[in-house]
This record gives sequence, structure tokens and C-alpha cells, in this order.
Amino acid sequence: MDGGASSPRTARLAQALRDGQRLALGRALTLVESGGEEGRALLRALRSETGQARIIGVTGPPGSGKSTLVDALIHAWRKEGQPVAVLAVDPVSPVSGGAVLGDRARMGAHSLDQGVFIRSVSARGHLGGLSAAAQDMADLMDVAGWPLIIIETVGAGQSETEVAQLADLSVVVSAPGLGDDLQAIKAGILEIADVLVVNKADREGASQTAKHLEGMLALRAEGRREVPVLKVSATEGTGIGALRDCLDSALSRARDDRQERRRAHKSVQATEILARRICRDLPEGFLDRYSLAEWERLIAEALHQVAKRAE
Amino acid sequence: MSDPASLSQDSNLARDIERWQALYDSEIGEDRTVVNRSGIAVRPLYTPDDWSEGRYAEDLGMPGEAPYTRGIYATMHRGRTWTQRQLIGLGTPEDYNQRVRILLQQGASAISLLPCNSGFRGIDCDESPLPLLGTCGTVINTVEHMEAALEGVEIDKISTAMNDPTPFTLFAFLLGVAKRLGIPLDRITGTANQSDYISHYVANHMFYRLSQPGARRVFVDHVKFCREQTPNWNPVSVVGQHMQQAGATPAETMGLTLSTAIQYAEDCIRAGMDADHVLRRFTYFFDISISFFEEVAKFRAGRRIWARIARDRLGAKDPRSWRFKFHGQTSGVDLTQQQPLNNVARVTAQAIAGIFGGLQSMHTDGFDEALACPTEESARIAVATQNILREEAHLCDVIDPLGGSYYVETLTNEMEEKILAVIETIDAAGGMYAAVDQGIVQKMIGRSALDYQNRIESGQEKVVGVNCYQLEEAEAEVATYRPNRAAMEAQVKAFRTFKAERDQGQIRQVIGDLARAANGRENVYERVVAAAHAGATHGEIIACLRRELGFGHPQMVA
Amino acid sequence: MTYPERVLVTKIGFDGHDRGSRVVAAYLRDAGMEVIYTPPWQEITAVVNLAMQEDVDVIGVSSLATDHLIIPDLLQALRADGLAHVRLVVGGIVPQNERQDLLDAGVSAIFNPGATSGEIVHRVRTLASEARVLRDQEETV
Repeated sequence: MDGGASSPRTARLAQALRDGQRLALGRALTLVESGGEEGRALLRALRSETGQARIIGVTGPPGSGKSTLVDALIHAWRKEGQPVAVLAVDPVSPVSGGAVLGDRARMGAHSLDQGVFIRSVSARGHLGGLSAAAQDMADLMDVAGWPLIIIETVGAGQSETEVAQLADLSVVVSAPGLGDDLQAIKAGILEIADVLVVNKADREGASQTAKHLEGMLALRAEGRREVPVLKVSATEGTGIGALRDCLDSALSRARDDRQERRRAHKSVQATEILARRICRDLPEGFLDRYSLAEWERLIAEALHQVAKRAE
Repeated sequence: MSDPASLSQDSNLARDIERWQALYDSEIGEDRTVVNRSGIAVRPLYTPDDWSEGRYAEDLGMPGEAPYTRGIYATMHRGRTWTQRQLIGLGTPEDYNQRVRILLQQGASAISLLPCNSGFRGIDCDESPLPLLGTCGTVINTVEHMEAALEGVEIDKISTAMNDPTPFTLFAFLLGVAKRLGIPLDRITGTANQSDYISHYVANHMFYRLSQPGARRVFVDHVKFCREQTPNWNPVSVVGQHMQQAGATPAETMGLTLSTAIQYAEDCIRAGMDADHVLRRFTYFFDISISFFEEVAKFRAGRRIWARIARDRLGAKDPRSWRFKFHGQTSGVDLTQQQPLNNVARVTAQAIAGIFGGLQSMHTDGFDEALACPTEESARIAVATQNILREEAHLCDVIDPLGGSYYVETLTNEMEEKILAVIETIDAAGGMYAAVDQGIVQKMIGRSALDYQNRIESGQEKVVGVNCYQLEEAEAEVATYRPNRAAMEAQVKAFRTFKAERDQGQIRQVIGDLARAANGRENVYERVVAAAHAGATHGEIIACLRRELGFGHPQMVA
Repeated sequence: MTYPERVLVTKIGFDGHDRGSRVVAAYLRDAGMEVIYTPPWQEITAVVNLAMQEDVDVIGVSSLATDHLIIPDLLQALRADGLAHVRLVVGGIVPQNERQDLLDAGVSAIFNPGATSGEIVHRVRTLASEARVLRDQEETV
């Protein structure tokens, strides 16, 4: 791909982005997501200008009604005139690599609203991981002037936990009747939750789910910050106002320790960048030469060598 | 089976089957695997080994007697032929009136009205893009429009069906016309097609208007209103057609339709209505696909299952409440854009399946119905098809003529099993309303739609002119119906004038009353009727209810 | 730089029958594309906004009940908002005598019932790369 850091095209795009042109943002998101040189150049040109937006991560197991909840939250914020941008991450077909990005369909009512910008992202094999790509994309939205960004991910697996880490505030959504999926919450992302939401509160079992989550929170080590558990019904609209207020006030607090969070996330990101570089520079087909187990052994050996040299 | 005579008969039969099987195997070479759309394996031959009249009284019975497998009336089509009810809708109310008069002259015995898609969407003609007005249905936004559409039609004598989803504005307009003509409301007969809001959330988003809880509320109030004021109107038509058109197999369709009917019956009973009162006015609306025997078996099995559900599960005591009355429409899904005249043959085969399936009323598609609103010519051929089958082919002479066929009875039993399994799945989810909420039904249908498309692509399912016997030469052009743009423009202009000249204070008043009813416990449908009669438009009534009861969106299930 | 084709599968106008658009969305996904799928009844402005935010290469409009009659308006709106490079295909029922009007208005392909998944996937893929070339040209100008 042509166009390095100094390419006039990149400069033009960067300026259009700063001017808040929506067409430019849509285009820039693709460039950055697809991981080419032009996207990297754009990020380099803009990196110093980020940091204005507040980012909320919304995560939860399939069936918890995340998208509907995000939709209801957008409505609530829009009522106050607050512009909202969303990165909606949808799972990808493991077979074809294709995806039907249906999340935004559940947020359909906003496609006429100039104060809402929604971008669907497939959780496809982003070099360097989903969280790095999501961070880069959120940065672009930030530079384009979107003051509030929601990153919505399916709450299963490591990459989602990482996405949650780059947010100023992590909302974990559950719902009654999910059965074993609740266990997924316990195992992974409960740890990173700043706010817990029990969605579909109009359904039977909502109170038990809330109690169950509160019980799990109580088991955590003393001295941890307080995590509110809120019951809402995104489809009925109940509890959404309270949730918005809770998020707004939590965001104003979260702002202070944002830098610290980002630093903590940096080491994760460094690993990703390293992995991305290595993967990019490998000759084609090279990865298939060894099995995963063999690769792990080779990497362990290599790391051992590095550690030795450091000593 | 234990007496010696039947034992020897049985062993004779077994020997005969074995002999035939050997012969068959030697002659056929490599046999095809045949599986019908519902997933039932179809064998080359059926014998008394598969079905014998062992449970005749329990499973079949006589026509007009429970479980009605052979038909819901003792005389069936020999006594009273099915109602020829062509679904029509096009252009302006005046265009509709002209078309409906032609159909009545040609022997249509009932009428139906399909409104413009803008109406389905819940808006009036003045808010719609002009090119889309009247292309697929008639623009009816007021009592005045309805009056023009039905001018000269004896609505106290002829049964009308309205494609009229919640909140049933067309019916309100029809009652307005009756009032103006001084016709008592109990003389109005017909059916509220598309009252089945659940099917709209699942399968046909066409008629999607209110939030699901809102639609549920209006549904029950509408049934109550009809029970009290229009006792000869069928307020419930459960529309299996939507499920099947969206891709459900025939067995899934019947299972989902019956589960929906159970949900509606239970909602009405919970609201204090009597099971017998409600169920006697239940009707059904189905697609008749070209999978001939499967369709016949679908209807026979459905009839039998419903009789048992109505009696044993819903507690209806009057045998008339157990009757499964249905309207069949030949399926547009099977029609092709390629070589459109071939569709006449398809419609004929579908219609025969419907007749043998024991339907009460029928719409036969025009051959161009896959392309556009039928033209006058295609609409005439569609009606003639029914007349020919009745008069020339003598399909009305014998009741349930396929009854007792080893194949059809076996297939009826097998379809019954499949249908019951679907009902069980829905019951396990907590009923149809809950199952839709959880996306179970949408997933079931989506999977079947993709399966069927794959069957066509792989050539397992053949479609003449599409994946076999294609024509090389250019397709013949078929005239497609488009409304007269100038007439439509004039109609919109007149509508705007009508709106401007109404008593605005009165409109505000009736819309306010409607909003209050929606938020309170009053019968909300009574207020819909009052608003319509006072001059409120279709779009105004729906906008008010959307504000008060919510306008959700159809669930997207991947 | 390669990344999957991004395709918006949608319905405009008033018709709600979405069996076809769902099945096509599934085929495109299975061919490795990223499909942005919407419910029916999208307004033209909404489709333009979606195409812009999602930076799609191709828009597929399913039309079964004359909604294709307003597709020229959609094409015009796309051009007016800087999305002239986006290719638009129509699937469903378009009568013979109205096909040319659509092609003249800028529709790239019309798929009638009977079009196979292979045909659709191939055509959409070709059009997506066409759209990308056109866009690069627009940007360099």
C-alpha cells in the first residue's frame, strides 16, 4: 500500500477526521481496522490528539440483551442531547471468517440521528488482537469529536476481558435464565466489572440473579471498590434512567484513574504489538510448519535465551 | 390382531411385500432418497402394513364429527363448496371497487381487501412516497375511502375479509360504512385476517405495528368487542401462512400455528371470556405449497390435533368450538418469475391439495402474483381455475377422497407426530409468546429457510424453469400492474383537504380518549372505532397507539 | 491490504418479507464477507448513514413488492453524500420492463429468483473490488 506518514492523502483524511466528517470517520475506521500501513500512519498522525472521550465497555453473555440495553442507553443519553458513538463487536463465523453483524440492527432506531455513530466490528482475527483494534478505532472516534464511546462485546473469552480493560468504565450485563452462562461471568469478567446490570428484570428469576451476583461480589477480597448491581428492563425501559445516572457519575470518578488504567493496559498492548509484528513478518505458510504445541516450545526456548541475555 | 384369520392375512401380506420388494429392487437399479419438506422420508409404496383402519373411529371418524380428520362438516364441499375469496387490493378505492365488482360477477362468493403497503406500515397516503402508493394494495385511510371502495357491494349479505392487523382500523372503517347505511352490526360477517400479531413478530414483519405487549392488549380487547357487538365476525385468524412463507416446513408451520392459537385462546380465557364463545370464532389462514400430499396430510393432521386441544386442553365443550376452519391461499413462494404462465399449472396443483385438504375458503394466486399485483386477466384465470376444478374436474363430489389411502393416512400420522413435537418445544419454552421473545421460533424458521434454499441449489428440489428446463430465449414480457400516478396524486390531494377541513377539536378529543383508554382499563378497541367514525385517520390512530403502547422493532435473530 | 468485503443487506420502502434477504446474508457470510444486516423498512437517509458509518463496499437491496421503484432516489442520495463508489445490487422481483430503468439509474446488478448463491457471491465480490478502486480514485482526486 502506498502512502506513508507524510502522504497527502493521509493528511487530508486526518484533517477531515478532526473536522468531524462522518464519511472520513467511516473510511478511517476501515483503514485502521484492516491493519495496513496507511491506517498505522493515520494513527501516528493522530495519537497525540486522543484522550478527550470517555469510553464505556459493555460486556455480557449471549442472550443477556446487551444490544437492546445499549440501544436503550443511547436513547437515554440522546434525550439529554449527548452524542454517542458505538463500536459493536459481533462474533465471527469460525468456518468462513465472515460475519452477519446484526447488533446494529437492534439499534436500528438511531440510523436517522446525526448524534449517533455506530460501527459494527467483527471479532475476526485482528492481528494483535481485538482489543488493540478496538482501542485504535475508539481513538479515531475520539479524535473525530465523539465525547462518549460505547464498546459492546460478547462476554466470552480473553479478548473481551481485554476490551473491557481499555474502557474507563466496564458494565457487565447478565439476565435471568441464562443458566450456565452465568458461570462464564463468574470465571472471567466479573473481576473487571465496575457496574453490574441484571437485564430483563421483568422476567421471573431476576431477583435471584441479582442476589447471586451480589453474593459472588461479596466473596471477593475486602477493600475492593463497591460494585453496584442494577436491575433494568431494556425492552420495557425500566431502570434505564437510573443506570444512565449511575454511569454518568461513575464516569466522572473514573476519569481520575484513567491514566493509570491505560498504563496497565499498555503492557497487554505491547504484547499484542509484538505478536502483530511477528505474525506480519513471518513468510507465508510459515506458521503452519509447526503445531501449536511445537510453537509454544520454540517460543519458550527463545524467551529463555532472551532472559539469559538480560541477566 | 390375535385371531388366526388376521394372523394368516398378515403373514400373507408380509410375504407379498417381500416379493414386491425383491422385484422393485431388481428393476429400479439405484433408488432415489425422497424426503419431504417436513423431513419425513417417503417410501415408494404404502400398504396395510403401514396403515389399516384399526383406529378409524378415534383417528378419523366421520366428516362433521370429532376429531374431524375427514372434514369439519358432514356435507363438506358436496353440500357447500368452499368460499371463493380472492384477496385483492390495488390503487385507489375507486380502482378497488371496479375490480371487486368484476370478481363478484364472475362468481367470487366473498370479498377481501388488501390495503396498500403504506397502510400496513401504519402511515397515511400523505406521508408515503408516491411511487409506492397503491402498487400492492388499496389506499384506505378513512371511513370515506372504505365507502368508496365498497360502493354497491352488499356488505350485509356478503362476507368480507380484511387484511387488517392490529389495531384493526379497516374493520372500524367497515363498521363506519355499515352505520352510515343503517345496517345493524350483527349483520356484518367475515374475518379479521392478520389479527395474528404473533406471526408478525416472527415471520412476516409486514404488519408489524405496535410493541408486543401493546399488540397483545389490543388483540384481547378486539376479541371482546367483537363478541359483544359483531357476533358474526371472526376476530381471530391465525396465520400459518406467514410462518411457511418465511421458510418454516409444513409441519413446523402447523405446529407453530396451533401453538399460537393456544396462546390466543389462553389469553382470552384469562381475560374472562368463555372458551366456547371464543373458539367458535377462531379461523386459520394457510399457505398451500406445491408439495401435494404433504399439504393434504398437514391439513388433515392439524384438524385432528386442534379438535383434541380445544376439547382436552382448552376445555371447550361445544363440538362446534373444536372445528378447525381454514382459508387456504395457493403459495406465492412456489411461483416463479421465469416462464410466468407455468404458474397456472402450479396454482392448479396447489388448489387441488387445498381442496383435498378440506379447506373452507380459498384464494388462488394469479400467475403474475410473483411479479406484481395481478392484472385483470390473471385475476380472472385464477377464479376460473377454481370454477374448473369444481365444475369440470368434479372435485366436490366426494368428501375427503384421499381418506383411507395407505400413503395419505400414514403421512397424516407422521405429520401429526412432527407437529406435536413442535407444540411440545413451544410449550417447554412457556408458550408461543415467550418462545418468540426468546428467539426460538425465529431460529427454527431461519434454519428451515436456509435448508430449503440449499435443497433448491443442490437440485434436490426441482423448480421448472429455475434449476431445470430453463429456457434459453428471452423471457416473454408480462404486463405488470401499476396504478395511475395522476389518479393517486389526486387522491392524496383530496385526503389532505379532507384532513384540513375536519373539526380539529373533535379529532383531538377522540385521539385523547384513545390515549386515555390505552393507559387505563377501558376497552381500547371501542375507542379505535369511535375515533375512526369521528374522522380520525388510519395513521393518526396508529401513531397514537404507538405513542401510548410502544412501537418496538422486530427481533433480529442471527 | 486485504480485508473482507463489507456488504449492507437491507430493505427499503414498505415490504416486510425478509426471507430472501436473510438467506442471502447467510450466503455472503459463509463466503467470508462481513454483512451488515438491517430490518426492513429502512428510510433512504438511514441507508445512506449506515453505508457511511459502516464504510460498506456494496449495498444489497431486497425488493419483493415494488419497493424497487424508489431505488433511484437511494442512488441519488448516496451520490449526494460522497458515496458514489458504493455499488448497489437489487435482489427479488423486478418486472422485465422495469429492469432497464434501474440499470440506467446506476444499479450494478439485479438478481431474480433463481439466481444461485454462487452467482450472487461472485458478483458481489467483483463489485466490492470495483467499489474499492473507485473510492481510491475519488480520494486521490
